[in-house]
Amino acid sequence: MLVQMYNVSKTYSNGVKALVDVTLKIERGEFVFLMGHSGAGKSTFIKMLMREELPTRGQIFIASRSILRMKASDIPQLRRSIGVVFQDFKLLENKTVRENVAFAMQVVGAPPHQIKTRVEETLKMVGLGGKEDCFPSQLSGGEQQRVGIARAIVNHPLIVIADEPTGNLDVDTSWEIMDLLSEINKKGTTVIMATHAQDIVRRMHKRVIFLDKGTVVSDSVGEIA
Amino acid sequence: MRWTTIKYFFREAKTSLGRNRLLSLATATTVSICVFILGLAILLFMNSGELIEKLESDVEIVAFLEDGLTLRERDQLEDRLKRYPGVLSVTYVPRDKALASLENKLGRGDYDLLETLEGNNPLPDSFRIKGENPREVAQLASALGKMQGIAKLRYGQEVVRQLFAATRWIRILSIFIVVFLGIAAVFLVATTIRLTIFSRRKEIYIMKLVGATNRFIRAPFFLEGVALAASGTLFAITCLFFGYYYLVENVQPALAFLPLITDNRVLLNLFLSLAGAGVGLGIIGTFISVNKFLDV
Repeated sequence: MLVQMYNVSKTYSNGVKALVDVTLKIERGEFVFLMGHSGAGKSTFIKMLMREELPTRGQIFIASRSILRMKASDIPQLRRSIGVVFQDFKLLENKTVRENVAFAMQVVGAPPHQIKTRVEETLKMVGLGGKEDCFPSQLSGGEQQRVGIARAIVNHPLIVIADEPTGNLDVDTSWEIMDLLSEINKKGTTVIMATHAQDIVRRMHKRVIFLDKGTVVSDSVGEIA
Repeated sequence: MRWTTIKYFFREAKTSLGRNRLLSLATATTVSICVFILGLAILLFMNSGELIEKLESDVEIVAFLEDGLTLRERDQLEDRLKRYPGVLSVTYVPRDKALASLENKLGRGDYDLLETLEGNNPLPDSFRIKGENPREVAQLASALGKMQGIAKLRYGQEVVRQLFAATRWIRILSIFIVVFLGIAAVFLVATTIRLTIFSRRKEIYIMKLVGATNRFIRAPFFLEGVALAASGTLFAITCLFFGYYYLVENVQPALAFLPLITDNRVLLNLFLSLAGAGVGLGIIGTFISVNKFLDV
């Protein structure tokens, strides 16, 4: 079991109840959609997996380790096992494609030869071979998101969390990104993707967790509440 | 820690300094100005302290002797004065000498003072007494005044009182100003470093998300802060050094009554402490900002 949540509630200091009594499990290698209207609690859900936020009540385990009992010095280790893909890509504009991906390995202290081969490998895998020396501004939206995905998976994480990764992309490009995420999932990485795109969710036919006002209103394969 | 990681820190700090050139310049200038003013203030206070000490050590008691003391009585009195607790030195000034020095002070003219006084020296014999602690001169004087053979005591009561009141305030004020300047400098540095961090917050956020440790994220900022503070400090100290020596060489001869400190060891200590303080400012300033902004 990779992710376990038990009776997780989150109330922000301003009184907003973002999550209410959520209990669920996500297995290793699953592909899970997280759906819900804006303000349903998707972002809070993701932030808790990253330990950017702590639950007000309940317990969360990732790979059998409690998020709540984790020491501050162990947080970086947790985050190294999670790769994040953003809607707005969050690339560093003044670094090239290669440097953007290498950055994720540099900051965890990987040795240079390993960085070189792994970055090359990963960029080829996401279909950016030949664009290594471009800057983000020279790339299309779809290509920028591929850089984002390459950065998320270059450290070989257990989980990839994608927060509306197709939100800024057109339909065709969105499907290219979905194909890429599926491929990553097939290699054994758990993918958790928050999205509004209903047709993508329908056609992918994967598990869908639907949140509404902080509670899980449905959790089943291929169905949208 | 890996060598490549350390190289990475230096490269990052260097890149950031180059990229935020204006901000870097602002930080270095800020530190420079702060250290310069701090140094100026300390030099001023050190020199005024020197002046105060000189003024204070000049305070002495003059004990006029009764007329007609025998040599033996005078020697006994001198002996008793010297042995009195709190007395540092006792110098006998015979009346002729006192008159001569008075004549000196008034300015030697074409006349002879003794002649003008028709051969009668009105000044008594006296002892010049220095106390160990100039601040306790009043108590010492009243104690010594009771001794037999002493007609009268003088120590410029009112002047001494005012001098000590003034020097006390100058000392308190100087400490206050130096502390205030130090605090101001820390906050100025913290603010400029904060701007640098702010301009890189996206980078920092990504570093956090991919699992960089806090120490790893902080290190380049510290290097940057220290480098900026060090260069600013160096510039300030260079200015102070040349400025002060110019003052000593060119102004000192004209204002001989002002005792400027020229002891190289004292000055070296001052400049080294300023260097330490400047770099310290950089470290504390960076620490404040970095910790506040890295709390993701």
